[in-house]
Amino acid sequence: MPLLELVNIRLALQEKTILDELSFQVDSGDIIGLLGTSGSGKTSLFRMINLLQSPTQGTVLYRGKDTLTYQPTTLRREIGYVFQKTYLFGDTIKENLIYPYQLLKQEPDFQEITDYLAKANLPQDIITKKINELSGGEQQRIALIRSLLVKPHILLLDEVTASLDEENTLIIEKLILDQHQTRNVTILFISHNTQQAERLAQKILYLAKGRISFYGNKGEFFERGLNNE
Amino acid sequence: MNDLSLAMTFSLVLLALFLSQKNKIGLEKELVVGSIRAVVQLTLIGFVLTYVFNLNNYALTTLLLVLMVYNAATVAAKRGQGIDHILRIAFTALLASLVITLGTLLFFGAIHYQPSEVIPISGMVVGNSMVAAGLVFNSLRDKFQHRRDEVEIKLCLGANAKESSVAIIRETIRTAMLPNVDSMKTLGIVQLPGMMTGLILAGLSPMIAIKYQIMVTFMITGAVAITTFSASYWAYKSFFNELEQLQ
Ligand SMILES: Nc1ncnc2c1ncn2[C@@H]1O[C@H](COP(=O)(O)OP(=O)(O)OP(=O)(O)O)[C@@H](O)[C@H]1O
Ligand SMILES: [Mg+2]
Repeated sequence: MPLLELVNIRLALQEKTILDELSFQVDSGDIIGLLGTSGSGKTSLFRMINLLQSPTQGTVLYRGKDTLTYQPTTLRREIGYVFQKTYLFGDTIKENLIYPYQLLKQEPDFQEITDYLAKANLPQDIITKKINELSGGEQQRIALIRSLLVKPHILLLDEVTASLDEENTLIIEKLILDQHQTRNVTILFISHNTQQAERLAQKILYLAKGRISFYGNKGEFFERGLNNE
Repeated sequence: MNDLSLAMTFSLVLLALFLSQKNKIGLEKELVVGSIRAVVQLTLIGFVLTYVFNLNNYALTTLLLVLMVYNAATVAAKRGQGIDHILRIAFTALLASLVITLGTLLFFGAIHYQPSEVIPISGMVVGNSMVAAGLVFNSLRDKFQHRRDEVEIKLCLGANAKESSVAIIRETIRTAMLPNVDSMKTLGIVQLPGMMTGLILAGLSPMIAIKYQIMVTFMITGAVAITTFSASYWAYKSFFNELEQLQ
């Protein structure tokens, strides 16, 4: 059984069709690069998988079960989603990082937080800072760690390295791959950077105007040169 | 104060009219209409109150209170246009606030269930609760619009509708309660409340007027708290659907 399956999905927002005739499967342990021009519907697809939006037509199946039949909180804990627009809430970084534990009614595991900060190349004292004292790239990494602390089975990453320099991009890619290797997290990531897709992905899903124009192995995709379109 | 001297106080409205016209504020019509309405409405209610007070009927008094709550609810609900079930939420919150505060005063024997005591007291409770409920709806609508990202990110981290809204609800309650807390702090220093002024002018000793004022102040504080809490916790749900999605 595929971990995630979309069956003939259509999504319309305010009468406008954003996604159409979308069917594909994601297997457990996949790393899928989601590419496509701006406005092709990548973010909308993630929002729908995460149930922030219901499909207008068709079904999204998670572990063989319609996502609409899940308790939304349960589903969203299993499918982590890091937004394109970074948003840190409240006052301090600490508040953001202990939030996942509070939701799970657990004591914060500061050792775990410390490990992630180190892996993301962030200084330990960042936790005491106010949210607006961080650079865009630092905020983005905190948002990623915040989602990882929930320990999702699937990670939806919407351009999470968009405001990072090359060094930190590579560090984050390593952190993402580490999630894949140690916890067998299935990863779908959106990127406008084809080199990044080539480095990270096993498969490529290419969206054009809300429809799939390619879905298959990375090698095949880059041979065809679809990325140059 | 005789009727003639009351009539002469209208010269103050004339002064406002003059100022408005001279400075082209354009409020003349509203001032005239407003002052006429004030006189007509108050005179009418004077007759009604005299009648109701004399009749001293339990059921009629209760009916008037319910009407009062309903009217206030429609006004407060206007502040939250677009929120599902807003009138029902406003009505229930205001009713809860009135029943609890009035119930407490009655239970401790501070007042008796007769129209001359219950109606003016309820007017103050409901009036203040109405303003607070309006602030609640306004703030919720504003915050759920401007902080969608925050709410959705929390949902994505596994928060349910309530957990994702708790920060907004807390700020809303603060916003709606602050005016009351501020006015409580400045009572007697900055303002002598209308009720107390009225009682003193009517010839009651200031000490008695003050005793009533303290009761009224505490009562309004309780009423505002009950309204803001219940209105917030009922209304936030309207921003979500059954799949815990923001509408
Ligand atoms: N709430 C909405 N209501 C109506 N239309 C929307 C809404 N959200 C997005 N759209 C439209 O849906 C289309 C796809 O948007 P989406 O954000 O999914 O694109 P994207 O592929 O993520 O683009 P980008 O690479 O720029 O982030 C766009 O045309 C956008 O205008
Ligand atoms: Mg996008």
